[in-house]
Amino acid sequence: MTTTSSPSDTDLLRQLRSGAADAFAALYRRHQGPLYRFALLRCGSAGTAADVVQETFMGLLTGRFAYDPLRGQLQHFLFGVARNLVLKQEAPQRQAALPANGDDDEDEPDVAASGACPLARLLEHEAAEEVRRALALLAPHYRDVVILYEMHDLSYAEIAAICQVDIGTVRSRLSRGRAALAQRLAGWRSASTV
Amino acid sequence: MDTNERDPLFDPLRADLARMDTPRGVEKELMQAFARHFPRKRPWYRALPARAWALAGALAAAGLACALLVAHLDPGAREAGAGALMTRGDDGGLFIALEPIERIAREPAPRMVATEVSRTSLATLGVPLTPENAGDSVRAEMLVAADGQPLALRLSSFN
Repeated sequence: MTTTSSPSDTDLLRQLRSGAADAFAALYRRHQGPLYRFALLRCGSAGTAADVVQETFMGLLTGRFAYDPLRGQLQHFLFGVARNLVLKQEAPQRQAALPANGDDDEDEPDVAASGACPLARLLEHEAAEEVRRALALLAPHYRDVVILYEMHDLSYAEIAAICQVDIGTVRSRLSRGRAALAQRLAGWRSASTV
Repeated sequence: MDTNERDPLFDPLRADLARMDTPRGVEKELMQAFARHFPRKRPWYRALPARAWALAGALAAAGLACALLVAHLDPGAREAGAGALMTRGDDGGLFIALEPIERIAREPAPRMVATEVSRTSLATLGVPLTPENAGDSVRAEMLVAADGQPLALRLSSFN
C-alpha cells in the first residue's frame, strides 16, 4: 500500500513563487477556514472577515507580507497578518470610541464588534450565540487571545508570536478574558432565569 | 507551559463555526489576481502576429515556385552526382564533367581516349546503379588533359 503525503506549506510556497496556480489554491484551501473564522469572531462581520482573508492571501501572493519559514508556521504568520488587518480597520473607531484607557482594561466594550452583527444571524445555536456576544464585548486584545486559544487550539507561545507580546501577557489576558466572559454569561443566565 | 484545558463553554461556538468558510467568491478573485500576477508565457510561435505568419507563408510559397521554375527550365541539368556535373546529350548519351567547366575550357590540348568504365565506379559520380547491372562495364570516351588528368567522361552507350 502506498501513502501519499500532502506537500508542506513551504513546498507550496516555493511552487507558488514559480507561478503554480495549483499551489496557491492548495494553500488557500488549507488555511482559509481557520483564518476566516478567526476574523469573523474577531471583527463580527462576515463581509469584513472575507475582506481580511482576501487581503491576507493577496499580500502573500504579491510579497507585500513576507513570510519567513524560519520564524514559525505559515498559519501563525497568516493569523498575525489577519489580526493586524483587523486592528487597522478598527483603528478609526477605536480612536473615536475609546480615548486614553489602559491597555488591559477588560471592561471596555469593543464598539465595532458589539453592534448589530451579521454573524448573529448565522449562528443558530443559542448557547453559541451567547458566547459569541460575550466574546464580542471583550476588549480586542483579550478577544484575540481567547479566540486563538479556545477556538484554534494554539499554545501560549504561538499566541505570543502572533500577537507580538510575551507569554506572560498572553497568560494574564487569557485569564482575565475568561473571567470576564464567565461573569457576563453568568449575569445573562441569572437574568434570564429570574 | 499550557496546562489549561480548553473551556467547554466554547464547544457550541466551535461546533457552529466549524461549518463556516470564506465565501467562494474570494477564492475566485484570488485566482484571478494570481493569473494577473503570473501571466502565462505563450510559446514563441503564438507570440508572432498573424501578419508575420502570412509573410512567412508568402515567402515560402515564392521560394518553392522559384525552385520549381528553375527545375522546369533546365530539366537535364544536375541529375545527380558527387560534385560532378552531369548532362544528357541529344543522342541519349551521358556527359560527366570531372573538373569544372572553366578548367576544361582552358585546357589547350585535350584529347579523347576510348575506354571502358565499370558501373560501380560510375556510381560514385552519381550514375544510377542496380543489382542487375552492378557487374557490367560501360563503353566511354574520356577527355584527358595534356598532362594526363581526366577532365570529362562521355558514355555513348549508356542507358
